[in-house]
Amino acid sequence: MAWDGTLTPMPVNEDFVPKIQVFEPHRASLPPLIPYLKEFWTRRSFALELARFTDKAEYLDSRLGKIWLVLNPLLLGFVYYLVVTIIRPGGKDPGLTRLDHLLIGLFTFYFAQNCVTAGASSITAGGRLILNQAFPRALLPFSSAIQSFQQFLPTIPVYIFVLVVGKWAYPTTIVPGWTWNFLWIPFILICTGLTGFGLALVFATLNVYFRDTNKLLTYITRIWMYLSPVLWLPNTLRGSMKILLYINPLGPVLDATSRVWVSGESLNKLSFYGSIFWALASIMIGGYFFISRERDFAIRI
Amino acid sequence: MPNDLAIRIEELSITYKVSLEAKRTLKNAVMRASLKQKERTRTIEAVKSLTLDVPHGSVLGIVGSNGAGKSTLMRCIAGILSPTEGRVIVNGKISTLLALGVGFNPALSGRDNIILGGLASGLNMDEISDKTDEIAEFAALPDGFIDLPVRTYSSGMYGRLSFAVAVSMTPDILLLDEALSAGDAAFKEKSFERMRQLCAEARTILIVSHALATVTDLCDTAIWMHKGSLVAKGKPEEIVDGYLKFLNVGSLPSSYEDM
Ligand SMILES: Nc1ncnc2c1ncn2[C@@H]1O[C@H](COP(=O)(O)OP(=O)(O)OP(=O)(O)O)[C@@H](O)[C@H]1O
Ligand SMILES: [Mg+2]
Repeated sequence: MAWDGTLTPMPVNEDFVPKIQVFEPHRASLPPLIPYLKEFWTRRSFALELARFTDKAEYLDSRLGKIWLVLNPLLLGFVYYLVVTIIRPGGKDPGLTRLDHLLIGLFTFYFAQNCVTAGASSITAGGRLILNQAFPRALLPFSSAIQSFQQFLPTIPVYIFVLVVGKWAYPTTIVPGWTWNFLWIPFILICTGLTGFGLALVFATLNVYFRDTNKLLTYITRIWMYLSPVLWLPNTLRGSMKILLYINPLGPVLDATSRVWVSGESLNKLSFYGSIFWALASIMIGGYFFISRERDFAIRI
Repeated sequence: MPNDLAIRIEELSITYKVSLEAKRTLKNAVMRASLKQKERTRTIEAVKSLTLDVPHGSVLGIVGSNGAGKSTLMRCIAGILSPTEGRVIVNGKISTLLALGVGFNPALSGRDNIILGGLASGLNMDEISDKTDEIAEFAALPDGFIDLPVRTYSSGMYGRLSFAVAVSMTPDILLLDEALSAGDAAFKEKSFERMRQLCAEARTILIVSHALATVTDLCDTAIWMHKGSLVAKGKPEEIVDGYLKFLNVGSLPSSYEDM
């Protein structure tokens, strides 16, 4: 079949825009940040579409797959709830309040965990893209973060459903009515996402150098969850143990999650500043670690 | 840099440091550290102080045996690898079609991959949706394969799609690494046609190919690389001749030895 010339003819190279790029050895540890961030920003739709398409590819053949995304943490939540109530039956929490705390904590924790684990393998999994195209590599873990957020969203109606059913079955369950404190929720989610993305940058870089990082990460995230206020309530920590809540990058946001979602309270100072601190610290440390090494990725993949 | 240059390469060296360990894992690293061993590595000089100017609108062929450093050079010009020493200055928008094809995700359809590839190379959503149909048409995959996952493609279909994507980006500088090898005769003709068109539009093209006829047909200049160094630069016919002689004889002609 011969080509019939259907491609639109292009003008003589008049669309040439001088665009000088200089590639030099990277002695400086960071590339110029402003151009990097500009490139990152102009290609943000790439990260968005990549998240959408990856999601589509993963769940293309199973509607059930998508349902499983919600069902999995939900069932785990019930299992954990059983275990926790067997260890410490009764407690002083009325009705199913503790289940509600556990579920929303677990969902939020999984959001962060997915950012980290999916982001950590995004570079090594992005082989061809990395070898054949020059673009800010941080877009790949960023795309994983977006995907994790999209997977988190459908768990919100599930949470509300459990809340309502729980209230109906156990009327003593505490259910906060509408309060303006719910406006903290976007703040919490942004901080959670940023913290997860920042940590993903660290682990994605490590994973390029040490291919068993991902395996290690499965243990880390498990221990991390037990150390986070998901299975236990933040206010069970007494005295110097309280520090556990703040040296954990997700401690403050999970504390805040419990306060806002379950009790309808506002954040306290520590959880507010703690959330901001960990979001910024993760992004800055992860960003530095990642961006200063990303020019090495192509030769190490 | 003079305005008429598309690419200027100054004393470029690129070295790979390759680990000789079976697997680079954290476990091995910790074990080594505890035994106070050093990681065994080897340094490979893929490109050695290479200097080259490529004017706008020229079509440069690059020949050389396997491992000569051609792909490495292309990656560096594309900004994917950074130089170990020296400098590369590029003036213009680059589109690459390197040995592995565009960054295709095998689980996604050809169409989705076109969109992703376009976005990654810096187009915006409007620009790429305008182009998707055009690219699909140019690649002319049989029987609606464009909407099937890329993993179901034959290597020629894969090559067609990669080529269609790379040339559709209306690049100022087009880097092609073994891009034309997989297509069938009909597609080869069509892609030659397209490349001639790009040449006529005063775009700069770099072609790496083991099909020496491609180089003599399309290029107006050629270089020959050997073990990372530039052996010769000149008219494609002469370079290809010299290279063929070298392949038969197995040693560099004496007149090149000191280069
Ligand atoms: N990712 C890598 N890591 C380590 N060494 C590499 C890597 N890629 C290439 N090399 C080495 O660099 C040298 C040049 O390789 P390159 O791929 O540039 O050759 P080439 O000219 O493209 O060869 P071919 O004609 O086979 O495609 C080779 O010795 C190769 O072993
Ligand atoms: Mg090659």
